[in-house]
Amino acid sequence: MNLILFIFIVLLGFTSYYFGRRKAYTIQSTNKRLTALPQFYGYYLAIWCAIPAFIIFSLWAIFEPTIVKLLILSDYSNQGYLDDELNLIYEKTKALSRGQFTGEITPFIEASAEKYLSLRSIAQSSKAVIVLSIIIASVAYAYKKISSNSRTREPVEKFLKAVLFTASLAAILTTVGIVFSLIFQTIDFFKVIPLFDFVFGTHWYPAKAFVRDSSEALDPTMYSDTFGAVPIFAGTFFIAFIAMCVAIPIGLMSGIYLAEYASVKVRQYAKPLIEILAGIPTVVYGFFAALTVGPFLKEIGNSMGLDVSAESALAAGGVMGIMIIPFISSLSDDVITSVPQSLRDGSYAMGATKSETIKKVIFPAALPGIVGSILLGVSRAIGETMIVVMASGLAANLTLNPLESTSTITAQIVVILIGDQAFGDPKTQAAFALGMSLFLVTLCLNIVALRVVKKYREKYE
Amino acid sequence: MKKNGVKMIKINSKNVDVFYGKKQALFNINLDIEENQVTALIGPSGCGKSTFLRCLNRMNDVIDICRVKGQIIINDFDINDKSCDVVRLREKIGMVFQKPNPFPKTIYENISYGPTIHGMAQSKNEMDEIVETSLKKAALWEEVKDRLHEPGTGLSGGQQQRLCIARAISVKPEVILMDEPCSALDPIATAQIEELIDELKKDHTIIIVTHSMAQAARVSQNTGFFHLGELIEHGSTDKIFKNPENKKTQDYITGRFG
Repeated sequence: MNLILFIFIVLLGFTSYYFGRRKAYTIQSTNKRLTALPQFYGYYLAIWCAIPAFIIFSLWAIFEPTIVKLLILSDYSNQGYLDDELNLIYEKTKALSRGQFTGEITPFIEASAEKYLSLRSIAQSSKAVIVLSIIIASVAYAYKKISSNSRTREPVEKFLKAVLFTASLAAILTTVGIVFSLIFQTIDFFKVIPLFDFVFGTHWYPAKAFVRDSSEALDPTMYSDTFGAVPIFAGTFFIAFIAMCVAIPIGLMSGIYLAEYASVKVRQYAKPLIEILAGIPTVVYGFFAALTVGPFLKEIGNSMGLDVSAESALAAGGVMGIMIIPFISSLSDDVITSVPQSLRDGSYAMGATKSETIKKVIFPAALPGIVGSILLGVSRAIGETMIVVMASGLAANLTLNPLESTSTITAQIVVILIGDQAFGDPKTQAAFALGMSLFLVTLCLNIVALRVVKKYREKYE
Repeated sequence: MKKNGVKMIKINSKNVDVFYGKKQALFNINLDIEENQVTALIGPSGCGKSTFLRCLNRMNDVIDICRVKGQIIINDFDINDKSCDVVRLREKIGMVFQKPNPFPKTIYENISYGPTIHGMAQSKNEMDEIVETSLKKAALWEEVKDRLHEPGTGLSGGQQQRLCIARAISVKPEVILMDEPCSALDPIATAQIEELIDELKKDHTIIIVTHSMAQAARVSQNTGFFHLGELIEHGSTDKIFKNPENKKTQDYITGRFG
């Protein structure tokens, strides 16, 4: 029903576009000069169709359920039901009307369901009638109004601007919403767990929080020594460090090769190939790390008499580094390529060799951009989840031995939120606190990276 | 400079052809450059004068699709020969570009760049001296002596170009190639550079590509006129400007085309 109505409105929109344009042509044929191109007249009418439709649809979506609910529940008023019970009755009614109700059907509810269905159908048809009549009225009004000297271009441009603004607003509001949902849960968490214990505690053992019976009162003392985040922060930065040890040299060197040494043909094929690495889903990297690299390292370690855990920081960090290579290589390639050719010429003309030129002129000139690309790589490494969940172990070990297993912020969030969670439980809220700290760290890194990149841009433009 | 009345030839080019891919940019260029003189290369845009200039220090090597044929003999040695060491060649033949291109480093580092690469200074004192002499020769010393450790990119356009000239002469080249060195500068900076060129020809052989015929007439002793990849006429500047043999040269100089 709604779909048919929607299609109908769209068709109406096209029709009004056509009529608007036709009227413009008619005006034009009488040798009058138009204030805008004919299609603007068409768009103008289409907007007069779209805006009323949008307004009515949204008003309907907001008010219809409330009104229907009021009408249904008015039958139950003065019978001494509590609000909760009334809500339940309403839910039952809705379920029954959809045929999804499985409990005991009382005559009362059956009657309500029938009433609900009839109300809904009345609402639907009245909506269709109202929408269509208002649209036709508004389009007709606008059609009569447009003349050779009416302004149609400006409203159309304004409408487009408003649409684009709404789109970007949606993205920003989502970000703000996410941050707020993190903030409130985080504050609740720190009401139970002191900030000091979280930031400086060295023992992370959220499983302990499982043990609590939910009927027991919350006793903050039982969580002491449970949510000390030092081991997982250490693990996060340690694995990110290992990843960057792999990604920075390889990424930079391949970036330099692509930008300075590779012939046009090689570059044409090599660059997309390297960028394919960026397109591999991280879960695939994850099982590559867990099932191939991890056991391989263990075997090598064992043959050398070293004790290597099958899930080691080295395996996870190494594979994560491989994942980050394309970001660094591609970005630094772009940055190096954008160093002006005149600097290279200047250096070659002094008798410098290619490697001297790269080392002494191009690299320093491109350094801000390269640092920016590295920082973006680091923030990816810190935020990466799948690889560490699969390959680095889940126990929060405070260790600096790359051959042992360790855990990261992201992996712990996964551990905490997998399966059933109780809202308002410190264990669940711990995930929010972790998410918040992760967000802050990557935010800072991104801000620094963008600043650095921006500084670089100012230099050559 | 004349030795016993005989002109000393510094650079001797024979049958030079240059190709960009399949397109031929220079046709059979034969041009002798006199030592310690300023030679101007003039001609309309795209005539090959810059291409020829870039042959002289093998800068065309940098362009993948560029091929150079023929002989260019400097100090009895063909620089297009396989045995030629490009690094040594460019130490002897410096270059100044159309747009000032100081490195994004300090003024001091800009000058010390070449001497460092070629290992010309054994100590910091020696390097300081090279930097000072080069800047003095480029008539920039007085303006920058108090801020040697500030970025070279912070100087004005004319100062930047003189910095680039100082950078070029820091390695004591025998020849300096200048590719329209004043085209990005205002008249005052241009006058300073032209004065400088006159000064520099005592120690260096200078070849300058220019679009300005007035500039060619002011600074050069010899002139070569290029058109569509060919060297139409060359000789002393006086003769080219006052009494050209070729009609094309005359048309170009009198502003009838180009």
